[in-house]
Amino acid sequence: MLSQRIANTVFALLVILISFYFAWIAEGFEASGLLASSGLPSKFFPQLILGTIIACAIITCYLYGIKGEAGGDAGETVFDNAGDARRGILMLIVSVVCYLSWRSFGFIPMAILLGPLSLLAMGIKQPYIYATVWGLTGCVYLIFTYLLGIQLV
Amino acid sequence: MFDLNALMISLGLLADPLTITLLVVGIVLGMIIGILPGLGPPIAIALALPFTFYMETIPSMILLLGIYSAAIYGGSISAIAVGIPGTGAAIATVQDGHKMFKAGRGGEALGFSLTGSIIGGLFSVVCLVVISPLLASLAVKFGPREYLAISVFGLIVVVRVAGKSLPKGLLMGTLGIFLTTWGLDELNGTERFTFGTYHLYEGLPLVPFLVGLFAVSEVLIGSERALQKTRFNMDSLKVKLPGLKTLAGLKDVIFRSSIIGTIIGIIPGEGAAVGAFFAYSEAKRRSKTPEAYGTGIPEGIIAPETANNATVGGALVPTLTLGVPGSPAAAVLLGALLIQGLTPGPKLFSDRPDLMYAIFIGLFVINILMMFIGLLAIRFAARLIMVPTSVIVPTVLLLSFVGIYSVSYSFFNVGVLMGAGILGYVVRKLGYSIAPLSIGFVLGPILENSLRQSLTIADGSFVEFFNSPIGLTIYATLVLTILWGPIISRIRKNSTKA
Repeated sequence: MLSQRIANTVFALLVILISFYFAWIAEGFEASGLLASSGLPSKFFPQLILGTIIACAIITCYLYGIKGEAGGDAGETVFDNAGDARRGILMLIVSVVCYLSWRSFGFIPMAILLGPLSLLAMGIKQPYIYATVWGLTGCVYLIFTYLLGIQLV
Repeated sequence: MFDLNALMISLGLLADPLTITLLVVGIVLGMIIGILPGLGPPIAIALALPFTFYMETIPSMILLLGIYSAAIYGGSISAIAVGIPGTGAAIATVQDGHKMFKAGRGGEALGFSLTGSIIGGLFSVVCLVVISPLLASLAVKFGPREYLAISVFGLIVVVRVAGKSLPKGLLMGTLGIFLTTWGLDELNGTERFTFGTYHLYEGLPLVPFLVGLFAVSEVLIGSERALQKTRFNMDSLKVKLPGLKTLAGLKDVIFRSSIIGTIIGIIPGEGAAVGAFFAYSEAKRRSKTPEAYGTGIPEGIIAPETANNATVGGALVPTLTLGVPGSPAAAVLLGALLIQGLTPGPKLFSDRPDLMYAIFIGLFVINILMMFIGLLAIRFAARLIMVPTSVIVPTVLLLSFVGIYSVSYSFFNVGVLMGAGILGYVVRKLGYSIAPLSIGFVLGPILENSLRQSLTIADGSFVEFFNSPIGLTIYATLVLTILWGPIISRIRKNSTKA
């Protein structure tokens, strides 16, 4: 399931592209007024760090491109099998959906959905696990709302 | 330096029933979270953070320190019982601990692990009490050049040990630093990478970023193995503490591992896992029967377990005296101090001596209480290993959401939590270590400010960086740290050939 070599090469290339984009944005940093001439320019440090990131990403690309591995991960894959990949990616989607639903519809609908959606994403079928997770969700809500006095809206 | 009045205040607060309750709760919670596979000390501390917002500083620190110490120990229980380390710090314990458990000597293995953890923890507290005031009095004289040297030291060391690939480790460390450049420039007020939102004026918030990086990424990784089931035999779980005679036979391993753990803890950026591995390999190297390691021997448990708990006191030395975290867990602890309105650093010793005394005494008490709680609760706590991952995943995710939201009632912070979690998940899947990323994120502001101030003072000359005896000593130590391994192996190779 997706070799480390391909995934890491693509990731490093993306890092290089994004770093160049950020370095370009940093070119536009300007201080105004009296502080404008104090010390080193604001772009200095971010661009220095971005330069280091780009150098590291190029070396990583080189290692995967020429040697086929970096740190002894030759022949390894990102996911052990298709099931792991599906569960991990679906869970990631569920967490983003729950965050967005909290912002749009409020805490309680999100909290009710989070448990079952997560369990569905993980392929869980036992009803007692759904009940347990809902119970724990209720406990979290009660503790934060009534014990700590936090308004979860 | 000694302040009797502050000592009396801290003793009074420590004797408060609420503080005592929090201390016990911290140990129990830490042990529980440590047992659950994947949830280590940084996550344990991060999940408890929201509960500390409304507490006084001393009780909240006692709670978090109890969680920190017990979570490291708790990881060994699942490592021994099922061969799955609860925390990274317990990975080295699996080899011998689980072999002993399978041989029907689980109680003995747990006894060695508990005893080693207590001794290592107590040893490191003594070192913390002795070293930190001295380092704090020295650190008062530190200027930008010295802080720059410490930050570079911390970052390079964590990059070297965190992963198998140096460029990948450095990439993560620098990425962490880069993310701290977002927000208003502290020196001249320039807007940097704010993307037009005022939320980013103060940069990316520390606590949501760290909780996302550790807890949310672990939730996502945990979801992949949600269908795996854990079974083990509970009969072998009655703790059997080693006798004094047995401990006397292990005194060299215990003493050496305590020193290794404390020193590795003190080195900025190092964690308990590194200390445990180092102590294990050192014990094996010095043993007359190295081939016995990995077959289920007490030395193979006591060495890593002593060292990993010894990193706790060690890690607090740079965290409290310099504001530079000694481990990822200490980085989260540093965030807790910031939330309490305190700035970790040398001035903390003169501004809040009561807090310092409370931390020193509290850690002593935590380690001693951990022995009794460990003995009493281990069988019950071990049952938690069987809690399905599918229950842990949504619960931890919800706790992370709610915990971060409750800090400032900010959806932006929850967004940062999610972003950091996804970033952590992606890079972990690609074989990157998140330790340099977290340490880079904490060290970034110190590094940038000290670099820019140093360059300004020195009129842009890099040579001036080395014009400070303390800074020069730190750089020399860094070079020695990097070259020490290759030099030693070269000497050994030559002596073997001869």
